Amino acid sequence: MKINMECSQSNIELVIIEKNITNHNNQKSTSLMFTKRSLIRSITCILKKLHAGYFRISLSFGGQALLWKTLIDPTNDTSKSRHVLSMLPSSVFIVLWSMSLFILALLSLLYLLRCLFFFKMVKEEFLHHVGVNYLFAPWISWFLLLQSAPFIAPKTITYLILWWVFTVPVVVLDVKIYGQWFTKGKRSFLTTVANPTSHLSVIGNLIGAQAAAEMGWKESAVCLFSLGMVHYLVLFVTLYQRLSGGDRLPALLRPVFFLFFAAPGVASLAWESIVGDFDTLSKMLFFLSLFLFMSLVCRPALFKRSMRRFNVAWWAYSFPVTVLAMASTNYAQQVKGTVSHILMLILLALSVLVSFSLTLFTLLNSKMLLPDNDPIASILIV
Amino acid sequence: MENHITLEIIEQASPPETPSLIKYISSNELEDFDEFDSEFPSPNSKESEETYNHQRKPSISVSMPLCYKETQLQSLNNNNNKNVSFSGENVIIRDDLASGIAMSEPPRQSKFKSQPMPKGVAFQQDGYQTGKANRNHNQPGIKMFRDKRFDSFKTWSGGGLERQLSILRGKEPIGNAQDGNNVTRSFDRALPVDRYFDALEGPELETLKSSEEIMLPHDKQWPFLLRFPVSSFGICLGVSSQAILWKTLATSPTTEFLHITPKINLILWYISAVLIATIFAVYILKLLFYFEAVRREYYHPIRVNFFFAPWIALLFLALGVPPSITKNLHQSLWYILMAPILFLELKIYGQWMSGGQRRLSKVANPSNHLSVVGNFVGALLGASMGLIEGPIFFFAVGLAHYTVLFVTLYQRLPTNATLPKELHPVFFLFVAAPSVASMAWAKIQGSFDYGSRIAYFIALFLYFSLAVRINFFRGFKFSLAWWAYTFPMTGAAIATIRYSNQVPNIVTKSLCIALALISTFTVMALLLSTILHAFVFRDLFPNDIAIAISDRKRKPHKHWLGFRYGSQDSKEIENYLKFVNTDDSSLDDSTPQPSSNDTDHNLPK
Repeated sequence: MKINMECSQSNIELVIIEKNITNHNNQKSTSLMFTKRSLIRSITCILKKLHAGYFRISLSFGGQALLWKTLIDPTNDTSKSRHVLSMLPSSVFIVLWSMSLFILALLSLLYLLRCLFFFKMVKEEFLHHVGVNYLFAPWISWFLLLQSAPFIAPKTITYLILWWVFTVPVVVLDVKIYGQWFTKGKRSFLTTVANPTSHLSVIGNLIGAQAAAEMGWKESAVCLFSLGMVHYLVLFVTLYQRLSGGDRLPALLRPVFFLFFAAPGVASLAWESIVGDFDTLSKMLFFLSLFLFMSLVCRPALFKRSMRRFNVAWWAYSFPVTVLAMASTNYAQQVKGTVSHILMLILLALSVLVSFSLTLFTLLNSKMLLPDNDPIASILIV
Repeated sequence: MENHITLEIIEQASPPETPSLIKYISSNELEDFDEFDSEFPSPNSKESEETYNHQRKPSISVSMPLCYKETQLQSLNNNNNKNVSFSGENVIIRDDLASGIAMSEPPRQSKFKSQPMPKGVAFQQDGYQTGKANRNHNQPGIKMFRDKRFDSFKTWSGGGLERQLSILRGKEPIGNAQDGNNVTRSFDRALPVDRYFDALEGPELETLKSSEEIMLPHDKQWPFLLRFPVSSFGICLGVSSQAILWKTLATSPTTEFLHITPKINLILWYISAVLIATIFAVYILKLLFYFEAVRREYYHPIRVNFFFAPWIALLFLALGVPPSITKNLHQSLWYILMAPILFLELKIYGQWMSGGQRRLSKVANPSNHLSVVGNFVGALLGASMGLIEGPIFFFAVGLAHYTVLFVTLYQRLPTNATLPKELHPVFFLFVAAPSVASMAWAKIQGSFDYGSRIAYFIALFLYFSLAVRINFFRGFKFSLAWWAYTFPMTGAAIATIRYSNQVPNIVTKSLCIALALISTFTVMALLLSTILHAFVFRDLFPNDIAIAISDRKRKPHKHWLGFRYGSQDSKEIENYLKFVNTDDSSLDDSTPQPSSNDTDHNLPK
């Protein structure tokens, strides 16, 4: 009996157990025990390796779901391309949404188990300058799913309750992390901990603002928006300055640079939800996001090193492009014209392509999804 | 040749008694060098003691072969004598090291194999060494010889053409073909930005530090094209912004009472058009003939911002077009004018965000405003042409990056090497971005609303805080780049006129007139200085030191007089190796021990 395990220790244990009880009659029960133990071992293994960065997958799927919901929803954009896109059958969208929900639920459950059994590891993640930002990722994913839910309308009580459930952790994390930036000692200064993943905290606030605006709660929406934007300003300046000593990002994490243009994209969407239409500020944020996207796309050398081997950081490419596609959709709706629609189509195609290829890559390289020497895990696990 | 120990001291502060001292040391060193002979023959070791800067100053004549430290290392690595030096002309032969420290003459009495002089890679020769150098090899003549010194900066086609010509004339020195490769190789890699900071100083990073030397002759006047910096485009900026000012004065409702004739705008516009065309033409010639010089300007942390200046000047030209010529410009013109700015921006802002050595905390300086103001000028032009989305795009990008730049410059970070310590006209660029942004926002929104007013008041505040410190703007050497600093004043004046259109009262009107007068007066004064420098002093285009810095640092002369080995040397090597690229892999091998001791003796002075 050979059980293929990823953890080296478990192999030895099982072999020993097997040797001890070979001569027993109750082999059936022992085999049951083996499978149970092997299951536990494999789950433990997974829990040990599953860090918050894996929520990038749920982020991407959630983003895709929201994108398609936006496209399917009735709109006053009368152009042909939009009309064609809205003909996507809603059943496909429901499948997509259910898949996202399933993935997010699975990841959340696993992470919850990790919190329960390996709380020390979670704590280390929290103390790490990159890992802490990914603690926002689950909540962002839940917000995305909430907004794209096909059966929960924004003004219902379920929506409200869920909104509260997701907003409270975000605000708590905000208070902790932002407060640390300007009050705590040397190791927590913004100049030392700022890195592109810090944009996730900003995105968390902005997504919460968007969800609130959908509900009609304008004040809380503006509150969260201003929180997000003011810290975005500080972060933007700090990251652009690239003070030496800060921004220690391993080369394998370069895909997170895409978060640079995710933040203004989400801000543009949030402001549009607050004001009601895609006004000048939204346009400016969208253009900034577009410019940063072009700037990063023109620098493929930056990402070369991280593209050598598949790792979960590749999923960081998908969400920002999806957000940009969403913003361009809204922009094309506001500014009717061929150029904006062409831009929308290009970005949509890109977003779908990226998400699809990432899914394919993950399925093909499923073994490498939880690698033994994951760069992030190795940083976090001392 | 060991007997000829007349040395050439190449150091600024070479005291008269140094020659004998050097002589003494060198003969002593001979014994100590024996252990290093294994890697190269002893004559080399002797040369190794006399390492000199390749910046030749008036010096004693030389008959001793000299060699550079690098050459020494090179020979160590390659175990050959290819890099050996030469006779008195302080020319160093280097076979594949990129620095362009090259030399051209075979040694006069040399017994070693020397790299024949690379045709393109000549080094600077001292004035009266030229004659000696000429004697030694088949130089076709002084003119040819002098050209060779600048060949390292010539575009490949230019240098190659000359080589072909010289081959045809039958006067080609040996080994030209090799050297051609050396030339291109030597300039294949970019100078790291650290080199500019180490070698240059001054508010515009134009002055050479005393410990540095340059690759082109220090005393000869270089070809005109090499002396023509990209900051000359500042003149276009200054004059064309004046054209816009006089157009605004003539056409604004609040300044109608002055009865300014539109002819002034017309004349100024024509002058600026001619000026832009001329300067463009000259710079394109420089691009064609001296591409290397243009490249080095691009890598200069301050000059790179002036690459935006031509496009901004064209935008100004479009903004200031007299109504009598045309009332409406075609919209495609805007796209054509903004395309180069967009490309430059993508490159430079991307560098700020992700570049290792060119990150903003290190290279931020007031001239960076030129990179940002182009966005606002483009937005202003687009909005006045009637476009909507494009101007908002550039306004957004400009605003975001301006915020970053503004904060960085205000912080005056200690890691920032480029901020001038004293006040300098370049600080007036601070006023440029907010004033143009206020005008652009007013045009986009349709009226001078609160956003524009906020930007305008910021500009006004910065203007006054600099104007009251006018006393501190003294004692600076005039340079062509000063023209670029006049356009912010003009911009502030124009913004004031637009503001007074919205809020007409006596204060704003008098402010209009005052600022317009100040800006016109400044431009006049600058014009006078320019004419003075051009025709009386004849130093309007001095040798452009900033582009001719060498690849690596020279340690000052005094160091090697102290017999300090060990850490000093390893630091020297590290310093040296830091600036050598990985394609010079042979040098990387030189880190092991024996070389470190050699280098002490090879310390350049």
